[in-house]
Amino acid sequence: MKRFVLLAIAVILAATSIGLAQQSQQATLRTPNGDKPLATIHQNLLTFFSATDVITALGGTITPDANGFKVSLNNVVAAFGPDSRFAVVRDDLIEMPLPPVVVDGKPFVSPQFFAGFLPRAADMEVSWDASARVLTVRQAQHNITGAQVSVANVQGTTKVVITLTAPIDYSIAKDAQAYTIHFKTPIRAPYTDQAHDDPNVSHTTFSGNDLKIQLTAPDVVGDPYRLENPFRVVIDLRKAAAAPAQGTLPLPPSKPVEAPGIHTIVIDPGHGGKDVGALGPAGTQEKDATLTLCRKLAASLSAKTGARVVLTREDDSVVSLDQRTAIANQYKADLFLSVHMNAAVVKGARGSETYFLSLEASDELAKKAAETENASAKTATPNAASSDLKLILWDLAQQTYLNESSKFATDVQEEMNAIAGIQNRGVKQAPFKVLVGATMPAALVEVAFISNPDEEAKLKDDAFLATVVDALTKAVVRYKTDYETRIGVIQPPAPTPAKPAATTTTAATTTTK
Amino acid sequence: MTKRAVLIIVASLFLLLTCKKKTTQQSSLNAQNQIVPRVVRLYFESPSLLLTAEQRNVQLPQNPAGAMPVVIRELTKGATNPALARSLPADTVVRGAYLLPDGSAFVDLGGVTLTQGWQAGSHEELMAVYSIVQTVTANFPEAKKVRILVNGTPPETLAGHIALDRSLTPMTELVDPRTR
Repeated sequence: MKRFVLLAIAVILAATSIGLAQQSQQATLRTPNGDKPLATIHQNLLTFFSATDVITALGGTITPDANGFKVSLNNVVAAFGPDSRFAVVRDDLIEMPLPPVVVDGKPFVSPQFFAGFLPRAADMEVSWDASARVLTVRQAQHNITGAQVSVANVQGTTKVVITLTAPIDYSIAKDAQAYTIHFKTPIRAPYTDQAHDDPNVSHTTFSGNDLKIQLTAPDVVGDPYRLENPFRVVIDLRKAAAAPAQGTLPLPPSKPVEAPGIHTIVIDPGHGGKDVGALGPAGTQEKDATLTLCRKLAASLSAKTGARVVLTREDDSVVSLDQRTAIANQYKADLFLSVHMNAAVVKGARGSETYFLSLEASDELAKKAAETENASAKTATPNAASSDLKLILWDLAQQTYLNESSKFATDVQEEMNAIAGIQNRGVKQAPFKVLVGATMPAALVEVAFISNPDEEAKLKDDAFLATVVDALTKAVVRYKTDYETRIGVIQPPAPTPAKPAATTTTAATTTTK
Repeated sequence: MTKRAVLIIVASLFLLLTCKKKTTQQSSLNAQNQIVPRVVRLYFESPSLLLTAEQRNVQLPQNPAGAMPVVIRELTKGATNPALARSLPADTVVRGAYLLPDGSAFVDLGGVTLTQGWQAGSHEELMAVYSIVQTVTANFPEAKKVRILVNGTPPETLAGHIALDRSLTPMTELVDPRTR
């Protein structure tokens, strides 16, 4: 029995030591004020650091609140909770690989939190030496160029963006497996190696002054270029023959050099595939109603405007919101109209309304874009916006065209109002995602309330659909005529501009009618 | 005697393991929040298709960090006035809400509908999004803009229309002028 007791004691001791090993491993925190012990835990193959140890060593505070913890350093406050991978700081999010772990009421976070927070709060940077177990926090070394990497895939093209804190010389080499960017002056790498769940890029790896972008296949080809303010090196990567062959967005037919005007119109039937949109009380799905209407509208526009008309989808397929605007941008469309059917909880809601984008001009870029738009509006040439602005951010693309989008939305709503029995709900602004990235005048029309039994029935009535198609066609013709008159490229408008032979194009196929 | 020793050892082992689990998962939240009754304004959709405030007495922690999730949870319960409609899906849960000193509020939502895909029209989605924005900014003057998360992550939209990859400020044109 004595032996059993000894065995049990040994088990307890082993359990205790394992428990401590799982909960707490000591490391060193190296700050400009000297070295201090730093509690860490190792969980799910990741090392988490005591936020309390780091923040208090830097003179900050960390306090629990109802949602988690609030971190304050130099009057900059961040918050995070035990259930979320995202910390919030100012108006931004810091993404962490896993949510913080709370041990004995104290939060442990991954180093990504410090890498996101400390530059904002104290102009400091952080690095973790896993072999020496030293977390170093030091003043940002501005003489060394900082680098951040983002990898994002849109429609089969992977955009690798390396944002640098200052312009520096670099060279790019390509072999079958990788692109290697060699920076000619020292850079501060944000990490050593990062894996990516991406069809074209498997890893990005920093080694010295080199960044290696590992490709998933030898046939991935790239298009490197650079952008200014901030300085960015960008490589667009795609499979060499993938675009037209694999059902992704085909390259648009080459567009002949045309006089300014409305030559290409993209019509976007809202929703599609598993995204059915709103449902009518009789079971009508918004995605079907929009597709039916848009097919008719495309044919009408082709016949009556002579423009090339592109549908973002011609069948019941899933097309992401970004892809819809990307299609319009890739076809260099001159006009974009997204077509939706509305729905409301309130019974009896009816009528049509037309939206154009609202964005908050909250930062300098937005203000600059808005100013440029105002300047270009005076000459009625939205395309006159500076090329720099067109490149700045997808987010701001539509800002440049808001005046024109407002005019187009007004034309759409006024023509819809002319339909007998349609209630005018007006022209409005809202941050519609599908309009954000459009680099042309763009509007979204809510034709009718599918949630209203009467209007749902109308949406199945060919005669009603014909009147809607006629109204939307008139709106496009009216805007086109007005715009082309303002920029002086057409003669006084003919009452019924007609070009019998017209082309209808979809993002997937091209047909000539 | 030895039996007792074994029992003590086993009990110690049990206690040790239990305590470890608890301390690992426990978050030490501030228990000092004083709860006080307060009249809050919750925004629901009126028959005129505008957001309209309903006033309600709610027991709230005094500090905004603790109060904000409580207020948003009241919003998700729906209106007591039968003429007003709940703007969010009925199964929406509020996972948390944060308010930072610079005026940024973050509201983290969850629930089956928002997680699996909400089939809603633009108007419904506008009402849902801006009922939150309006409720937060009306009850917490420190909150100037609101960012909505779903399951801790910034979603593209709630139902395919309104961009949520940015902070939102109130849209007064969506609010009944009498209750702005």
